[in-house]
Amino acid sequence: MVQWIRTRMFRKYAHGAFHPVSLGVALILAWSMMTSTGFAADVQPPGGVHKGVDVEQPIEFPHNIHVEVNKINCMYCHTYARRSKVAGIPPTSKCMGCHKIIATDKPRIQKLTEYWQKGESPKWKKVHDVPDFVHFTHERHLKKFVFDRDYPVEDVKEVCAFCHGQIKEMTVAKKVKPLNMGWCAGCHEKNGGPGDCWKCHK
Amino acid sequence: MSLKNVMENWSAYRKDAEAGGHHTYEHRWAMSINLDLCIGCNACSTACYAENNLAVVGPERFAKGQAMHWMRIERYWDVEDKEYPDQGASFLPMMCQQCGAATCEPVCPVAATYHTPDGLNAQVYNRCIGSRYCSNNCPFRVRYFNFYSYYESAWPEPMHLQLNPDLSVRDKGVMEKCTFCVQRIRVAKDKAKIENRKVKDGEFTTACAQACPTSAIVFGDTMDPESKVSMLWKQHQVTRAVYKQHKEDPELRGYRIFEELNVDPSVMYLERVRDTTV
Repeated sequence: MVQWIRTRMFRKYAHGAFHPVSLGVALILAWSMMTSTGFAADVQPPGGVHKGVDVEQPIEFPHNIHVEVNKINCMYCHTYARRSKVAGIPPTSKCMGCHKIIATDKPRIQKLTEYWQKGESPKWKKVHDVPDFVHFTHERHLKKFVFDRDYPVEDVKEVCAFCHGQIKEMTVAKKVKPLNMGWCAGCHEKNGGPGDCWKCHK
Repeated sequence: MSLKNVMENWSAYRKDAEAGGHHTYEHRWAMSINLDLCIGCNACSTACYAENNLAVVGPERFAKGQAMHWMRIERYWDVEDKEYPDQGASFLPMMCQQCGAATCEPVCPVAATYHTPDGLNAQVYNRCIGSRYCSNNCPFRVRYFNFYSYYESAWPEPMHLQLNPDLSVRDKGVMEKCTFCVQRIRVAKDKAKIENRKVKDGEFTTACAQACPTSAIVFGDTMDPESKVSMLWKQHQVTRAVYKQHKEDPELRGYRIFEELNVDPSVMYLERVRDTTV
């Protein structure tokens, strides 16, 4: 019965024309795919989730306030991401550039100022760490996914989110993607990354 | 390489050996070593130790043949009826020849050693299970096995700070060998790709070639016809993918070691010309 209805419904459109309902569904699907990730078909972000542990940092740095409220670009602080293998942790002087003036009454900023006055930097712990035998370069990934595609640099956080998750919703960063070989290789396969072992294994 | 792949891409696998056989190459890194210039100073070997995190094993293990020198200087006394000091040694730097048809590759049970699109014989330490089959099948004896966890004693603090972060420190039970300084190749290729250009000749070189005081070692890409190394290969009429070189001028000094085994080595040596035996 179902089969019969289906053939009846689609017979009219079998030769070239599109069924209005299926066309609508396809459009909605395409639209939702584009808006949910912000990416057209040329890039397929990696899937997969990881349940990371909470990392206790010397200061509970609120990524969400910096990114969502103050709209600061990831690469303002992690400035080496577009130039080198590592994204880099900003020097305390960069924090103090704003926080000599801004929010000086908050306990976290007072703790930061203490570090600054002692001439020390907070001992930030690394959250997203790949094993020592892996060659990973931020520079090449940013070039491929941002600069080569003329993707707006102000939205770079969406590209960062491929591997780092929605940092804009976190205070201190937490590992939410597996960052293991199968996960990397899956994305390389989908997006035409290199498949040679020695590209990443060192 | 599945059967389906072979059937579908049959013509790609039917390429001539000169065109690289069934491989599709991006680069073909190669070397030229002029033995006339080599003074046997071991600077290349030392540079290799520093660059590639090679462990110093000590005299007892060295005597057992467990040294980890990816680059070694072999000495030959090739004039008969004469002893030192009437005869001086001739030197031959020996490292992995990055064969085009490498004998080490097909015997690996876990595909830890394979051929890269750059024409290198790669060794993936994570995959290696230490069967040592590759080493036994290598005619050049240039593969080195980690019989011990050398990292525990080879770099006592603060010497661990000298380790090169661009490649891993190998653990016990893993085979290793010369990589043509693949970490430098990787950086150069990344840089070229970012600047949307090809890798330039002389942009980077291997640690041994960099350290050589007489510039006996020249490193480059033979797929680039303008590179210094391909000029040298051409000049000495040495070609790839043959087991016997056909030279118009027999005086030309270039040769490849164990060419007759048809392993297609990527290192060309230039024979030493001796006026005296000392």
